[in-house]
Amino acid sequence: MVLSQKIHEAFKGTVERITGPRTVSAFKEKGVLSVSEFVLAGDNLVSKCPTWSWEAGDPSKRKSYLPADKQYLITRNVPCLRRAISVEEEYEAGGGEYLLDGADDDDNEGWLATHGKPKEAKGDEEENLPSIDTLEISKGKVVQSIPSYFGGEEEEEIPDMADFENSENLVETDPATLQPSYFVAHEPEDDNILRTRTYDVSITYDKYYQTPRVWLTGYDESRMPLQPELVLEDVSQDHARKTVTIEDHPHLPGKHASVHPCRHGAVMKKIIDVLMSRGVEPEVDKYLFLFLKFMASVIPTIEYDYTMDFDLGSTST
Amino acid sequence: SSSSSSHGRILQFAPFQSLVDDGFWRRLSSLKLDTLGVDQSPIPITGYYAPCSHPRVSNHMTLLAESFSVVPEAPRGNRNRCPVPGVLLNTNTLPSFRTLDRESLLQKEAKKILEDICSGKVEEDPGVLSSFLVISYADLKKWGFHYWFAFPALVLDPPASLLDLRPASEVLSAEEAASLSTACNKWRSSTLTADIPFFLVSISSNSQANVRPLKDWEVCQGDGQKILYGFYDPCHLPNNPGWPLRNFLAFIGLRWKVGRVQFFCYREKHGLADLGLSLIGEALVSPPEAWRDPQSVPKAVGWELKGGKLSSRFISLAESMDPERLAISAA
Repeated sequence: MVLSQKIHEAFKGTVERITGPRTVSAFKEKGVLSVSEFVLAGDNLVSKCPTWSWEAGDPSKRKSYLPADKQYLITRNVPCLRRAISVEEEYEAGGGEYLLDGADDDDNEGWLATHGKPKEAKGDEEENLPSIDTLEISKGKVVQSIPSYFGGEEEEEIPDMADFENSENLVETDPATLQPSYFVAHEPEDDNILRTRTYDVSITYDKYYQTPRVWLTGYDESRMPLQPELVLEDVSQDHARKTVTIEDHPHLPGKHASVHPCRHGAVMKKIIDVLMSRGVEPEVDKYLFLFLKFMASVIPTIEYDYTMDFDLGSTST
Repeated sequence: SSSSSSHGRILQFAPFQSLVDDGFWRRLSSLKLDTLGVDQSPIPITGYYAPCSHPRVSNHMTLLAESFSVVPEAPRGNRNRCPVPGVLLNTNTLPSFRTLDRESLLQKEAKKILEDICSGKVEEDPGVLSSFLVISYADLKKWGFHYWFAFPALVLDPPASLLDLRPASEVLSAEEAASLSTACNKWRSSTLTADIPFFLVSISSNSQANVRPLKDWEVCQGDGQKILYGFYDPCHLPNNPGWPLRNFLAFIGLRWKVGRVQFFCYREKHGLADLGLSLIGEALVSPPEAWRDPQSVPKAVGWELKGGKLSSRFISLAESMDPERLAISAA
């Protein structure tokens, strides 16, 4: 962690200790959530998208302002069938990207919406893609190449296990066991490189920014943990190392990649404004559905299950 | 044994895959440093799995920090975390890890499963059918962990032969499928049943499906009801059921003496029953007579492969656990 980041973390910790959690709704005004609104929105997510569940987590890391059994949300084993870079190339080819925040595209701080239906966002998609057709289009983003992880240079820590393997006389010749070549995950066609990673995606409440915060824990194609650095291959390259950082998870051990929440409130506010300008009154318990659609612009290739159709609020027509 | 049966092909099961969260190794490390010392007694643990929820990726048996709390005290009622009892054998040295008699360890676990089948324990606590074993060596100086999973499966001889296997939506009538979806979603949303991975489906002559616990088996008989033997299938493949079905078939054949078994591989999409992904199959099962002898030791398989070979796995957590490295990266 760089020094400025550490100082900020310390400052943030102090502020969190001395300020009480937000209890009054500033959902529409600021795009933020109180603790109880977070729990409400989490309950709704769990009931509508049952692959998400609440976790109690490690008791020693428990936040007193959240219910003991509702410390954070998690969905496990979410497939990521290809690297974000290949998706970005497709969108480049398909005619460009959609910027959620058109204010400052020069310094790349806008949010890219690389999900959705870029070429033909039709009328019936509008409820689900709240801001897509009001967005500026920015072209010519530089696509960086990503070094291949699957070269196998990671092996240096692993002692030679050859003796161990060969000393075994227990070779299982069992006709009822499906042989391994068949049980790897199904890969996209015309591609003989294994690319299926899986992710545990968790959502915590960030008391300082008063918004949810998304964390990614990755596993490679043989279900071994991915170094957080490699997780950056699966986030939009405009966000890798900028809005997506590697930090301590508040409930889980170790470093995890996380979408930094410093601009979440502002972007959520914009999405809410777009909805309201269309006569949709956003409801606070739907916050996480909106939020996850927004997150999909940062992590476009991780296929979590929020893509079902939901009414995002009540329409006042 | 080239061909076991004149009807159908050998039913092949996709092996369980393991996944270990860093939190598990951290908890083991502190347990070893603070409590266990050099004690190598087997440690009861809890693994978690859920039905396959994506058409392209199987689910796994997962170990978490919470895995050191034991079934039935382990968190229950979470539909995405069905608890399965396991045993961890953590050795003190790498040589002792490497020289463990894995064959007899596997047989011992398989024998326990057979005992649970014969005693009726399975009806009370169906998760024991998927009991598993992990052997490990934790190198706490280098923060490296060697480990190897076994998912013991009783080997039927002759193997079960497959008569039919198709998506559930093709086997059932539209009415039956709709009723079964509803019944499964109800079972999966009640905290009392959500994490119970083996169950019965009864379909009445008027196409109404019910999901019931295994202990209702006798009640389900008669009345012209069709019985399906259901389980949470971690496997995503369209032509093979997952590993938990192996011991389930042995149980059905041995305990209930059913020779022709209609089974139901329950799979989900977006957390809800998906009968297009779920499979219904029919298999012929004949458990060896020898298994009825309480002293018998069943043949078993199940050591997990790594890259297609029998091999242990290794994970280094030095990057995130070694205080020296942490100090350097923080400086």
